[in-house]
Amino acid sequence: MLQELLFSLPQVLIDGLALGAIYAVVALGYTMVYGILQLINFAHGEIFMTGAFIGTGFFIMLMGMSWAAAIPQLLLFIIVILITASFTGLIGVGMERVAYRPLRGAPRLIPLITAIGISFILQDVIRFIAELTTGRYILTGPSLFSDQITISFSSISSWFNNASFKTSFLIVLITAILLMVALDYFVNRTKWGTAIRAVSLDRETASLMSINVNKVISTTFFVGSALGGATGVLFAMQYGTIDPYIGFILGLKAFIAAVLGGIGNIRGAMLGGILLGVMEMFAAANLSVLTGGIFGAEYKDVFAFAILIIVLIFRPEGLLGKPTAEKV
Amino acid sequence: MPILEVTNVTKEFGGLTANKDITLSVQEGSITAVIGPNGAGKTTFFNLVTGVYQPTSGEILVEGKSVVGLKPDEVAKRGISRTFQNIRLFGEMTVIENVLVGMHKHLKTGLLGILLNLPSTRHEEIEAEKEAYRLLEYFDLAELLNEKAKNLSYGAQRKLEIARALATKPKLILLDEPAAGMNPKETKELTDIIKKMGEEFGVSILLIEHDMKLVMEISEHIYVLDHGEKIAEGNPDDIRTNPKVIEAYLGSGAVQLGQRSETNANTTVE
Amino acid sequence: MMKEKLIGFLQNKWSQVILFTLFVVITSLSLYLSQKSVVAFLLLLASLLILYYMKLKNLTKWIIGGGILFILLPMASSGGPAFQSYMEVATMVGIYVAMALGLNIVVGLAGLLDLGFVAFFAVGAYSYAIFATPQASNFMPFGSYPLGGESFWIFLIIGGICAAIAGVLIGIPVLRVKGDYLAIVTLGFGEIIRIVFNNLDRPVNFTNGAMGISSVTPPSIFGIQLVFPHHFYFVTLVILAFTIFAVLRFEHSKLGRSWKAVRENEIAAQAMGIPLVKTKLLAFALGATFSGMMGVVFAAKQAFIDPTSFTLLESFTILVMVVLGGMGSVPGVILGAALVTILNLQVLTELTNWVNQLTLNGIINVPDALSPAKMQKLIFGLLLVIFALYRPIGLIPAKNKKFDEKKLKTNRLAIDRENTVAIDKDNV
Repeated sequence: MLQELLFSLPQVLIDGLALGAIYAVVALGYTMVYGILQLINFAHGEIFMTGAFIGTGFFIMLMGMSWAAAIPQLLLFIIVILITASFTGLIGVGMERVAYRPLRGAPRLIPLITAIGISFILQDVIRFIAELTTGRYILTGPSLFSDQITISFSSISSWFNNASFKTSFLIVLITAILLMVALDYFVNRTKWGTAIRAVSLDRETASLMSINVNKVISTTFFVGSALGGATGVLFAMQYGTIDPYIGFILGLKAFIAAVLGGIGNIRGAMLGGILLGVMEMFAAANLSVLTGGIFGAEYKDVFAFAILIIVLIFRPEGLLGKPTAEKV
Repeated sequence: MPILEVTNVTKEFGGLTANKDITLSVQEGSITAVIGPNGAGKTTFFNLVTGVYQPTSGEILVEGKSVVGLKPDEVAKRGISRTFQNIRLFGEMTVIENVLVGMHKHLKTGLLGILLNLPSTRHEEIEAEKEAYRLLEYFDLAELLNEKAKNLSYGAQRKLEIARALATKPKLILLDEPAAGMNPKETKELTDIIKKMGEEFGVSILLIEHDMKLVMEISEHIYVLDHGEKIAEGNPDDIRTNPKVIEAYLGSGAVQLGQRSETNANTTVE
Repeated sequence: MMKEKLIGFLQNKWSQVILFTLFVVITSLSLYLSQKSVVAFLLLLASLLILYYMKLKNLTKWIIGGGILFILLPMASSGGPAFQSYMEVATMVGIYVAMALGLNIVVGLAGLLDLGFVAFFAVGAYSYAIFATPQASNFMPFGSYPLGGESFWIFLIIGGICAAIAGVLIGIPVLRVKGDYLAIVTLGFGEIIRIVFNNLDRPVNFTNGAMGISSVTPPSIFGIQLVFPHHFYFVTLVILAFTIFAVLRFEHSKLGRSWKAVRENEIAAQAMGIPLVKTKLLAFALGATFSGMMGVVFAAKQAFIDPTSFTLLESFTILVMVVLGGMGSVPGVILGAALVTILNLQVLTELTNWVNQLTLNGIINVPDALSPAKMQKLIFGLLLVIFALYRPIGLIPAKNKKFDEKKLKTNRLAIDRENTVAIDKDNV
């Protein structure tokens, strides 16, 4: 059994890393908003999905233009990801404005309900637009960076099988890492980042220090949603096919990643995302082997939720979080 | 016989020591006060006694039996009830329903009784309602019985919290700044109620309060906390003149002032 | 002047009764006589809402309402060829109302956002479907399956209990989790249960996996097999009546108060001696019970179930019903559930047919993507957002029980009176 596990390990790690990087960046959006508003932004997964559609839409559009063919693919990719991120960032800001800000004093149940509502609206609106323009709501983007690369792990040791990936994997990984490093810098080293941290620690005191709390919250939503949208583009590029319902489950998994790392903790979200991605791929590849064929890859979502429940019960503050006690 | 005995209780939050080595007792039928400057650890202490927090070390006995490790609802069943510094009423529920929730643990009826509306259930419910109403009358809240708790005035909310706590028929009631935010007239009224309450409901009282007039008037015994430690205890007269207490409240300069003239110190503490 | 008179007239009890009777008679007759009149059918159902606002005693309202539902509605709709489809819609309304009332205990009273509520419905449905088909012989060491149609009645209880047990099992790990996480965890559990049912065809075939379970034995009573929608209509109605009765009892008992207390302030509730986990578990279990019972009815009515009937969307649909109607309000939730079900089953399909007709005739051109039947999510989303923002209390807001001051005073007055009498005697 161990042999089988090891044999597939290189490929599991590579697939897990790609998925984990995506979880990690989406998880950042959950964690930032939770850190600042103590609100689970349910609709964040839909922002990710919206990003995937906007990005794919742009790719399809640009590919259709003759002059765009002259531009190097990498440059094209950077342009698309920047445009998409600004779009989804603005959607995020608008969402906060309409659905969350008026409810800041309301019972906690209520903003959760608007968040679910916003998710539904985004899903259907995207479906309408996709179906109206292309006739179907499942889209396949142009294949970019699809050269196969094989790393010959088997030459290292016969225990391992070879692993292969597309160039896009490298791009996903590098972009995700860049995004995370940039965010970390933004939050920890810039004036705006300091304001965000101040507001999440104590909103009232921060406002007394002449920090414009509403602006800071808007910024947080912009940054979080821009990251979510950019990740959508990465997802579409890596996995090819998208539909309006990818955001829901992926969003949930990213949320699990955020909790695993410690919600409200930005580095925790990154760690949690990568861990969850790798664990999930490992489960998908090996559950069947491990359980003697009783449970197969179809239980990988169950596995992710099991992780969530275990974390919430035994270490609710997450891997990198600090325990908090409610003030009585 | 003491109803509450706390010995060497310490509570640490991470590196912060909120309560250090506190020893305190409340005699049955007495009114005892815990005072101290803001941040002295008074509310933390209440939370330790009521099971909201668990002490890092030390022992808490209620009627000679340990309550350390019990959950708040289990502590409540041992006969301890409380009010909160930042009022915690059930805002969307009516005034009388708030009091009825206090009676919850004394209502015996089970699921089947509720579903079938058995005569015993109905009887118990009616008796509870009448008792709740009497409590409201005692606190002058009877006319407001069908009002939502959140719509009450601040003073009325404070009184309702006490009424709700008494509805649990406690042996010891912990009042966390009962007079905070009240005007002098309301405070006077409240002082009288607290004074009478102990005897009429057979309950011992432990209170945190910043209104020194109220504390000095009604307490039989006073404990002073500062920086999480007990710095003094005694009857009101002892506390009034204790230099350590004056220092805690006003800084070291005031002590010299206090030593010069005792009357001065009196007024400054107030 | 005219307006005042009209208002005065409308507030008079007897004029209300006359108008109401007229309304009911006209709608019933038009429902009976017309070949297919969805409007008359809906108006007759709406008469129950009017009844709710009338100045009558509660008991009278219950009797009239029961009369309309048990006798008038089935009779009036039996006139045309659409009888069974009316009964089908009414049955679905009943099923959803009971489920929404169950969720209302959890969300509305106890304040716990459960996003996987359909799981309990699924547990109920599968519990009957497995044993009322040969499916059970795959793993049961004794007995012969399918069980007969009489077992349906026992399974109503078993299904409820299974769902309650599922509620407790889910609740134990979940309810330790703080507020907001609960929504996510229950959502996860809702999905887990669906995935499990979808894959439990191996190693032992419990649920027949994605293929679903078909040919579920129809229930029978006194040797009559219940197969038609109008049969199930009556079964549903009886269970619904029980559900409404039970939730009203719960709401106004110490149990309901403890749920509301936990919802309003957990820390204060605990300080009053209310055990948090036990109270929340009870809300989960009792809420699940009604859902499980209706699951049994659903399985029997459809005679076929598969995991696609129990998706996340179903859980959210039930949540929409509760939010729309008014969290914590029994009449509100009934209205919300009825409106959403009718919107789903009747209004959207009618609209779609109508739009298709127009498109066929070339009057307008609505692309398939925008057909109303596909707009369910958008409509639900808008409803959730609009209601949460502008009317979080819902269509019929929850009301606290009003206590009669006079009744509570009697005791003291009696004592006072005795005292006065005694004094009088002394004087004499």
